Amino acid sequence: MPDPIHQFELHPIVPIKIFGWDVSFTNSSLFMVASVVLITAFFMVSMRSRSLVPGRMQSMAEVTHEFVAGMLRDSTGSAGMKYFPFVFTIFMFVFTCNMVGMIPGFFTVTSHIIVTAALAALVFLTVIIVGFAKHGIRFLKLFVPEGVPIAILPLVVLIEVISFLSRPVSHSVRLFANMLAGHITLKVFGGFVVMLLGAGTFAALSPLPLLMAIALTALEVLVAFLQAYVFAMLTCMYLNDALHPGH
Amino acid sequence: MTEAERAAFEGRISDLGDRLNKIKAQRQADAEADLNAEMRGRGMAYGMRMAAELVAAVMVGSGIGYGLDRWLGSTPWLFLLFFVLGFVAGVVNVVRSYERIQKDIAAKTGGKLGPTVPDDED
Repeated sequence: MPDPIHQFELHPIVPIKIFGWDVSFTNSSLFMVASVVLITAFFMVSMRSRSLVPGRMQSMAEVTHEFVAGMLRDSTGSAGMKYFPFVFTIFMFVFTCNMVGMIPGFFTVTSHIIVTAALAALVFLTVIIVGFAKHGIRFLKLFVPEGVPIAILPLVVLIEVISFLSRPVSHSVRLFANMLAGHITLKVFGGFVVMLLGAGTFAALSPLPLLMAIALTALEVLVAFLQAYVFAMLTCMYLNDALHPGH
Repeated sequence: MTEAERAAFEGRISDLGDRLNKIKAQRQADAEADLNAEMRGRGMAYGMRMAAELVAAVMVGSGIGYGLDRWLGSTPWLFLLFFVLGFVAGVVNVVRSYERIQKDIAAKTGGKLGPTVPDDED
């Protein structure tokens, strides 16, 4: 049976060592660069004409912009629009990486927890820095809900702190787990087709897992979009906490 | 216009009306099926989100407890305490994201998440 984990292996393409650290340019790096190039090319081409009445490509770019802008405005109000470039970059990067990973034979960058953890850590640190820069020590009010009796306040604060610290973990694990699980499932069902084809009379059953694989592919495309949406949505919500703590 | 012509014309009109109605019904059914499929995908995403919220908080809580135990040499008491606190934080996370999701769904569909399915209670 084809190994379902094989697709997630990293291969160095250009081996680089700096001070004993392995910082090779791997297939993962290649697909990250490819995604960034793809995004840049898409916006360069689609916004080239800059007409008042948008053409097909320009409409696509504008719809994407409006989608993310609406999401950010809904959760943070107009104060959060300053962080639009940040959220838009994260959404486009995750979305493109997820979608590129859906092409058979291509590497899914977001199925590695180190990538999603780095993105989540970036969001987490941004929230903390923005929060302290905007509100100073009052940012800590985030951990002190209003109307809690003083007797159990220490306990509640402790729970709030743990809840806050768990954000980057759930933020990164969700995206990574969804992409990993989806791609393994697809590969396993694909493997069933191959195994059944080589199993004599049972080859007659092989269309069944094939149909399942097709249905799963459709679901995975939806999941790829939804997880990018959820990742960006949570980024907006966390930014909202940094901008308006104590709400 | 003769009587026969008028009858034929009205026949054509009502025929056209029927055809339009049929297409409209088909469109509506398609749109509903699309919405249901989307909501199914969303439901799964929401479920994963809840699970991740709970597990992450328990993991972080236990991690803090374990670290403190190693540091203070109080094994296993702080680990146990922070495990429970992590669980509480996880439940708080789940309740909060549930409230947010509820709002999200209400805004999108008017509180409708997929078709109603009869169960044993009905």
